[in-house]
Amino acid sequence: MNIERWKERWTTIVVYLVLAVLMIFTGLASDVFFTSRNFDNIARQAAGLGLVSIGQTFAILTAGIDLSLGSVVSLTSCLTTGLVLGKPGLLIPVIALVIALALLVGFLNGFIITRSGVHALIVTLGMMSVVQGAVLLYTKAPYGEIPESFGFLAWGKLGPIPVPVFLLGAVAAVAIVVLHRTTFGRYVYATGGNEEVARLSGIKTARVKIYTYMICSFTAALSGLFLASRMGMGDPLVGQAYMLDSIVPVLIGGTSLTGGKGGVVGTLPGIFIMVVLSNALNLLDVSSYWQWIVEGGIIIVAVAFYWREK
Amino acid sequence: MQGISKAFPGVQALEKVDFDCVAGEVHALVGENGAGKSTLMKILAGAYRPDEGTISIRDKTIAPATPKEAQAYGISIIYQEFNLIPELSVCQNVFLGREPSKGRLFIDNAALYQRTKALLSELGADIDLHTKVKNLSVAQQQMVEMAKALSLNADIIIMDEPSAVVSGKELKSLFGIIRSLRDSGNAIIYISHRIDEIFEIADRATVLKDGKLVGTISTRDVDKPSIISMMVGRNLDETFPAKEQGEKEEILALEDVSRGTVLKGVSLKVYSGEILGIAGLVGSGRTELARVIFGADPIDRGEISFKGERIKRCTPKKAISRGIAFVTEDRKKEGLVDCLPVKNNLTFPILDKIKKWVFIKNEEERSICNRCIQQFNITTPSINQEVQYLSGGNQQKVILAKWTNTNPTLIIMDEPTRGIDVGAKAEIYNLMRMLAKQGTAIIMISSELPEIIGMSDRIVVMHDGRIAGTCASFEATEERILMLATCQVA
Repeated sequence: MNIERWKERWTTIVVYLVLAVLMIFTGLASDVFFTSRNFDNIARQAAGLGLVSIGQTFAILTAGIDLSLGSVVSLTSCLTTGLVLGKPGLLIPVIALVIALALLVGFLNGFIITRSGVHALIVTLGMMSVVQGAVLLYTKAPYGEIPESFGFLAWGKLGPIPVPVFLLGAVAAVAIVVLHRTTFGRYVYATGGNEEVARLSGIKTARVKIYTYMICSFTAALSGLFLASRMGMGDPLVGQAYMLDSIVPVLIGGTSLTGGKGGVVGTLPGIFIMVVLSNALNLLDVSSYWQWIVEGGIIIVAVAFYWREK
Repeated sequence: MQGISKAFPGVQALEKVDFDCVAGEVHALVGENGAGKSTLMKILAGAYRPDEGTISIRDKTIAPATPKEAQAYGISIIYQEFNLIPELSVCQNVFLGREPSKGRLFIDNAALYQRTKALLSELGADIDLHTKVKNLSVAQQQMVEMAKALSLNADIIIMDEPSAVVSGKELKSLFGIIRSLRDSGNAIIYISHRIDEIFEIADRATVLKDGKLVGTISTRDVDKPSIISMMVGRNLDETFPAKEQGEKEEILALEDVSRGTVLKGVSLKVYSGEILGIAGLVGSGRTELARVIFGADPIDRGEISFKGERIKRCTPKKAISRGIAFVTEDRKKEGLVDCLPVKNNLTFPILDKIKKWVFIKNEEERSICNRCIQQFNITTPSINQEVQYLSGGNQQKVILAKWTNTNPTLIIMDEPTRGIDVGAKAEIYNLMRMLAKQGTAIIMISSELPEIIGMSDRIVVMHDGRIAGTCASFEATEERILMLATCQVA
């Protein structure tokens, strides 16, 4: 174990420490915070944001970004509730359909980015607009209904632990294994670190990027399904805030916008910092607009911190 | 500079080094890669701060904390990677951040032009001042850097391995400029590890080894072998390994290959067990040729066949699986992923061979990496060290190890020893000869004529995207190659 490696670990540990401190302070300020009801609440908040942030981590690791995530979340949640309309028998085929649709969006993102050479920021921004427009053509107001059993995803419990914890935990675990143990994960870091070197080393960088955007859309689809379960109906604007919110935990977690550095291990505490913060402000009865201000401050401080470390 | 020390995580880059330089001399700073030359000069130029030690100019102690402060003391540094903005014109670059102004707010373009023109004519350089820097040749860019240094009224000019980027005639004219700057009373610190150059240009030389000062000598008093032995701490003859070829069999054949304006109808054959040297000036199409063979760039016309099989629409991935390896010229941009560990960089091309389903076999990967580190004598604290913290020579060894792992039948090496110290060079030469003896075909692109002649079995000289001539190594001389490269013979 050498110094650089410890330094890198240390920055991740700092993020976890910040989360711990935040939780302790909130606990001291509010006696409701450390209750199991509030924890269930936090878990439900974290799962929706967390899933897309994990996807976003992949995109940012390849030195890209996916701004269309939020609109895919809206798309999947609306289509699911709107097509199922409370009929349990339709659930499985509809879920398969919306996931396939999301993967198609991801594929198109990756395909256009790699073929045209246009920056991911522009391509996915355009895609965001296209998908959001399509959702609004489908429905302008919250619509649809889910069968009761589907509520289990957001409201169910396995023993004392809420199902959303398992959902987020499982996706995060798979993401970490993929990034650190598989060849694909290696290629993601290589492509983000230096695309030309990766290409000249025989890595099909275009393919890596296309898969990456498909992973993004897949996590967005999961998030959309989860939100449909949580709210019982699809809201065409439910994912809108995720467009930017999904980036914040990734940056707090230490993933570099220039690619090739960071990972889901850092994004996870980043997600919970965001959610606990919003929960704390809620419990302390502070206007939610304050959250925007605090959130903005955190991003700037966090990224400045990583730049200094460099 | 006295008693300068500087440590980086994991290495003591400099340990109590003394260095002095007087006006009107060219002082060479020599040493192997990782000896601490660049670090010492970056401290002088204010890019790093020393952990201990003092710097004084004309008996006055200074402590430049930023490059800007160092500039104010009259210290200017020209890095190997130029600090020029490609999209700006020559004038704009020379006076970047110090534009002559008119009424505080507006740039005085006429003065900008006049002053740049004066500086460049002082240097004897003929460059259109309105050209964007990206359209200039490397040598011209170097002139712009020199003009920038002069515009700062620098009396100490540090040049970090200028010969790594220019060669031949351009280097000669650079030396002329250095001499005239010296004669007008400037102090020039010239970092290099090319021994010949040091004798040609420098008055005194300071030798560093492993961050420590070996000694400062006058170049008139010593000879080449003694400087080399100071640098490496042992006697090392600069000879090349004996030429022994393996079995000869056609590996690669190019027939009338063209690409845009950079390659014009190139035909050539490469055989197993030989080292084919490709000489030519920078920009003559050597690198472009390597890139099309490797499938990094497409070709417009012509035919490439590998082991008798015609190759269509090649990609790097396909090239690697056929057994072609490409050691690129620019380590930073095309050779290594800087921010990733040695381990990851070593195994990119062979990950498919050490995986089980989609997972990387950790144990196998680690043992391959450790073997590479031993076999290639790579100095690194661990296989998890990020490659950006390694010295240039070690980075190059990582690249060579990475490609030898793929068991290639053909290795293309573009300037394999650029920016590498004498010791590492010898190791790389021996390795190349060993590979050739085992039957690997090697294409070596190089600007160093002694290297081309010493290492190659056959030499191809390129000029302006064409093959200007071919010669066997025993009939090759530096003069003949240069004449072909500059197209002075029919």
